[in-house]
Parts: sequence; structure tokens; C-alpha cells
Amino acid sequence: MNRGGGAALGSGSGPTAAATASAAQKQKTLLQRVETDIGNIVDNFNHLVNVARVNDPPVRNSQEAFMMEMRASRMVQAADSLLKLVSELKQTAIFSGFASLNDHVEERIKEFDQQVEKSDRLLSKIAEEAAASLKELESCYYSSAQRANQIPEP
Amino acid sequence: MDGKLEVSIDKLPVKRLDHIEENGAEKYPADVSYEEKRLSLIRRIDFAWAVEKDDKKKEKKSAKESSTPWQWQSMVENLQLAHQELSVIIDLINTVEANDAVTVASITRPKPLPHEHLSDLAVSAATKLQCFRHLGKYFKQSAKALDQQVAKEARFYGALIRLQQNWKVKRQRVAATAPSSEGFTIDLFDNSIYDPASIVRPSSISTVLVERDSAGKLAICVPPKSSRSLHFTFLGIQPNTIQGESCKLNPEPLRESEDGPAGDDESVKKTHSMLREVHRAIFDEQVFDLVNREAFNPSVGVNVTGIQENRLQLSLGQGTSVSISLELSSLDDQSSERLDRQNFETAALCSDLLNGVKPEEGKPDSLKKKIPNRACYEVYLQQIFHEHVFVRSKVRHDSGAVRASNQSAKDGPNLLSHFCMSLAHRIFSAKVLIELEKVVSGVPYLQLMSHPAWHSRTSSWTLSMKIPPSIPNSNRTSTPDVYPLKHSIPAFRTKVVVTDNSIKVEGEGAPNVVGLFKGASEDISSINRYDCDLADLAVIILQQVASQVIRWLHEEALKVGIKVTRDFLCISFELEQGETLSLVAHVDPDNPEGCISWWLVVDDGFSEERKLHSDFYDGGSEYRKFLGYLSLDVLYSTLMDLVTLCNGSAAH
Repeated sequence: MNRGGGAALGSGSGPTAAATASAAQKQKTLLQRVETDIGNIVDNFNHLVNVARVNDPPVRNSQEAFMMEMRASRMVQAADSLLKLVSELKQTAIFSGFASLNDHVEERIKEFDQQVEKSDRLLSKIAEEAAASLKELESCYYSSAQRANQIPEP
Repeated sequence: MDGKLEVSIDKLPVKRLDHIEENGAEKYPADVSYEEKRLSLIRRIDFAWAVEKDDKKKEKKSAKESSTPWQWQSMVENLQLAHQELSVIIDLINTVEANDAVTVASITRPKPLPHEHLSDLAVSAATKLQCFRHLGKYFKQSAKALDQQVAKEARFYGALIRLQQNWKVKRQRVAATAPSSEGFTIDLFDNSIYDPASIVRPSSISTVLVERDSAGKLAICVPPKSSRSLHFTFLGIQPNTIQGESCKLNPEPLRESEDGPAGDDESVKKTHSMLREVHRAIFDEQVFDLVNREAFNPSVGVNVTGIQENRLQLSLGQGTSVSISLELSSLDDQSSERLDRQNFETAALCSDLLNGVKPEEGKPDSLKKKIPNRACYEVYLQQIFHEHVFVRSKVRHDSGAVRASNQSAKDGPNLLSHFCMSLAHRIFSAKVLIELEKVVSGVPYLQLMSHPAWHSRTSSWTLSMKIPPSIPNSNRTSTPDVYPLKHSIPAFRTKVVVTDNSIKVEGEGAPNVVGLFKGASEDISSINRYDCDLADLAVIILQQVASQVIRWLHEEALKVGIKVTRDFLCISFELEQGETLSLVAHVDPDNPEGCISWWLVVDDGFSEERKLHSDFYDGGSEYRKFLGYLSLDVLYSTLMDLVTLCNGSAAH
């Protein structure tokens, strides 16, 4: 939560005050949502626990049963909305984490450049070795006894 | 029950104004609390009908007893009615028991006995416990489901974050159209190579949808048959394998049984590979597009002979045609095989039509030798475009210089012609090499050295001939050597340089130069440079070599002190009475036994004219003797014999 807020703030402090303001507003909204949901859960849980008392005379059983179900489903719904909030935060982190993304991209660029250089060097080394081998083989072949034996006898 | 049904309609939940006070404040009736609402609803249940019915039943009963169509009919009906009444009464009792808000008139509620009270308490406690247990199960279930959802989300977003580190992930602002789509797309299009002003239509496969698969993991949706790759082929030549030469990645289907971090890694890696495949396919499409654009600018070396939707045919001259095409990669095996076969069928037809010449009959080896490796040229095509267009545009973007863009615009159209000319050069130089090897194999004392030139349109070779050391001569001055000599063995060198399609031969020895032996200045002998054709190459080289041998023999003879004259391919000794004894070289590149043969020609001064008209190949004439294909040692000793002969004749 703090990281998301921090990232939002960090990106906002650069360009404009409007961006900062909107980021702060967004952060406030998210916090509000979190508080609402958690309050919801706590409240419903309280009611559930209260209803546990067995009344005297024991009436309203069905009503209370229905109410308990309703409170329980409300709790679950609040938890679900909290989870959705978390995914939203994750999405925001994915699409706003520019600093780390840029760093990573630059690192990869460096890596790839190094790899390019390495491949180039390797290729030129191979080429040089091939040329050297070719020269050696040619000179071996042409000065070999096998070739000398090719001379037809007059 | 009776036929008619009574319906009661609630009041609309509209707040009706109760009254308005003097100061204008409006007063509404107070909100009815929940409890009161409940009670009022219960009270509205009208039980009067039950009471009326009882009376009516009694009347009907008495009336029905009189008629007797079926004696049991009435009893059945009575029983049914009695059953109905009983059920109503039981319901009423239950309601009365459950809700103490409704009381039965004129009956006071009996005081519950203690055990009844306790049993009621027990029942309600048990019911509540049951309820709570039920709730507990429900909570556990939801907790498990939420846990799973959390895990799935974590996996999905983890994978997405990892993909984002290498690919451009975009979020769709509007609601996702496809049901399983998550609203994310990966954009694979690289628009940095194009000018900002030009309108470029990104390829249809450049946007890849991200979605969840059935296990909740991240999956990408790549349209089938979308990944095409650049193929480069020589027309008329069937490659050995169609599939083997193109090592395209065949992604395996995601194994869903693998779960956990290792499985996630695997699936992310596979996704990376698939995205890379599509990225490469886009690159190939862009290269093909650029090739097409350049092909229609008139430039040297590019002759377009055929166009199809995904195929471009070029003719390189020398009877060779190539085709550059975009074909489906081997992801979809069946259709691509069919495509490939079709391509090669049409290619074979085309080559016959275009060239009018059948592909070389006879040795398939020589054919293979002539045609360079097609895979390497495919890579070369991609590489030059990548380097000059893509990389340069990135540099252009970084530097922002206009000059660079002008430069690239100039150089741009030359890429394809450079490529075609390189290819033509390679084929031509392979032919040149074959000729040179033929020559070298026919002359045992000739050696071939290749000089790899790191330029795609230049090749060079050196033919060198080592001369056996002469008889040690104390008068012989040591000359500064131009060429580095091994063990002071002199050598003659002839250099053959091929640039694009032209051959330049450069060498010592002078076919046409008035070469007087200059003593110590052997190394400053004239170097001839001339161009020649492929057909004449062998002859010219042999002539060059033979003239070098003649020159050497001439020098050796002069060293020994004999007066000899040298002609183009002949060295002549003067005998007595004006007779000349000549050692003549004859070159024949197609002779399997040897390319340079030596003849001994004797003629008196009177038969010069006859010599011109006589048949040169008459080996049986007394004027000519065929010596054979002599090595340099034998030639030297022959020379010495001739010298002795001359000396002997001079002594007389």
C-alpha cells in the first residue's frame, strides 16, 4: 500500500502539481475504500456474535438465521472487494513503476550490447582461425608427397 | 378453497405528508420501525375465512348427505376438506407458537412448564448452533476460494510483471471485448525505424492478447498461422531438407499439470519464446517489405523477374535466380509443407521458363559447389537490413541528426543491390576458384593460396611457383627480396583478384614486355595487370606461368654464360650453322595429364616459313620432339644438357 502510494507520489512529484494532487486524491480514495471494507467486515462480525445469544423466550429463530446468513455473505463480499483493491494496486504498480522498469531495460540493453560485442569478437576469431587453417592446409596439401606423386612421369 | 382469490395491495412506500406547521415545516408520519412493520404484516393475515368456511362446511355436509350417486364420494370429499382444515389449524398453531404477537382470542397463553421451557431453549440453542456450523462451513469455503483467487492473482501478476520486463505491456482502457481477456495486450511493434511523419500500418500480429487459461495462469493468445518467416531459396535447386534447414522453434503446448514455481517459470519461459517468435516474424515481415520497396527502385544488380503476394523473384545473371518469400513457419506443419512444395514446384517451372537452360547436368557435386549455402544468405539478408535500417534508425533517434537520416536515405536503396551483387560475386568467384583449381591440379609445381578478403564482393588468390635453387654461383649477388622467401627459395607469384564480376590478373613475367635481364634487379621486373574473362582465365594463367618458367630458364642460362634468346613461350639456343634449338612451352588447360607441356624444336634458319604453315601438333616431325609434362627440376637439368650441347657445338 505504501509502495503503491509512494510510487504514485514519486511519479507525480516530477511533472506537475496537478499530477501530484491527483495522485494524492487517488491514494485517499483507495484508503477510504480499504477502511470501508474493513469496517464492514468488523461490523458484520460483531452482529454475528451478538446474535449468538439464545433468547428468552426462544423465538425469531428463522429471522435470526436469515440475518446471520446475510451478514456472513456481506463479510465475504467485503473481503472480495478488498482483494479487487489489491489487484488494482498491482496493476498500478505494473504500469507505473517506471523507474525500476527503466533501470531494468537499460541493464538489459547493456547485457545485449555486451553479447553483441562478444558475438562479433567470436565471429572474427572464427574467421581468423578459419583463414589461418585454410592457409595451413593449403600449404600442407601443395607441398605434400601426395601432390608430388601426381607429377606424371615423362 | 373457493374460486375467488382475495388480493390485498400494499400502500405505496411514498411518504405522504401528514401536516404542515405554521412555520412551514413539513411533518411526515414517523417511520414505521421494523418490528411494527412485521407485526402489521402478520395482523393482516385474515383468518376469518377459516371461520366462515367451517360454517359453510357444516351446511354442505348436511346438503350432500341426501344425494347418493356414489356413496364414497362424499366421504372422500369430506376427508379432503377435513384434511385441509387440519392443516390450516396446524399452521395457525405453529404461527401462534412462533410469534407471540398473535394471540388467540379468549384463550390465555398457558404458562410453559419448566421442562417445556428448557426444551424450547435447547431446541433454539441447537438450531442456532446448527446455523453457526453452517456459517462456519460457508466461511471456510469462501476462505479457501479467496485463497485460491489470491494465489491465482499472484501467479498471474507475477508472470505479467516478468513479461513486462522484456515486452511492452499495455492496458486497455475500454472494457475488454473478449470474455476471457484480461484487458492487457502486449505490443510487439517497433515503430522506431519509421519516420514519425510516415503513416505505417502495424502488422496484424503485432498485438497479442493476454488472457487467463483454464488454470488461471497467464496465457497469450497468438492467432494461428500468423507467424511467417523469411525464406531465401535458389530456384531450380531442391534443398536437402525443407524442415531441417530452418531451425524454427516448435513451442510445446503448456503442460497444465505442472504447478508451483517451477511450472510457472517454465510457462513464463515458453511465453517468452512464443512472443519472441512473433517478434521475429514481425521483423521478417518488415524486412520483406523493405526488400520489396527497394526492388522497385532501379538499381544495379537487381532484376525483378517475378512478383507474388508473398514472394519476390530476382535474377542474378549467370543463369541463377533466387526467390525471397514469406512463408509460414513450421508451427503449422501440414499447411506449411504444402506451401513449400507448391513453392518449389512453381520455382522449378519458373526457372525453366526464365532461364531456358536446364540446370547443370552431370556432376551434382559441382552444382552444389557452385551454389553457396542458402541459409547463410538468408541470415546475411536479414543482417544487412537489420544493421543498416534498424540499428541506424536507432542511432538516428538517439543523435537526432538530420545528416544521418539523409545518409541512410541514400544508402538505403543500395542494400538489396549490394546483397544481389554479393551473391552474384560469390557464385562467380566459386566458378573462378574451380578454374584455378583445375589449373593448379594440372601443373604440379604450382600452388594456390587463398586470401580471404573480409569484403563480400572481393576475392583474391595467389598462385605461386617455387623455383628449385640453381647451381650455387659465387657471382650471384644476393638481391633484396620483395616477397618474403622461405629458405631463400625464389618464387614467382601471380595474383588473381575478383571484384564483383571482373577478374584482374597481376603477375610477374612479361608476355609482352621487352625484358632484358637486368642483373641484380630481378625484383624490379615488370608486373603486368590485366583483366580477363572467366573463359580465358585458365589459358591466361597458364601462359603467365609458362612465361615465368621461360624467364627463369633464360636467367639460369644467362648465369651460366650461354647466349639465349627468349620469346613469348620459347627459349632458343643458337647452334652452329645458324640452327636454333628451342624449348617451347605449350599450354592446354583441358589436358588431363598436365596443362603445360614442353617441346623441343630444332630448325635451321631456312625453314622459318615452313614452320609457320606446318601443323603444330605433328609430333612425329624431325623438327619437333615432345618432351612431356616436365617438372622444374627436370626442366633445369634439360636446360643444362642443352647448354652443354651448345657449348659442345660452339667448341667445334
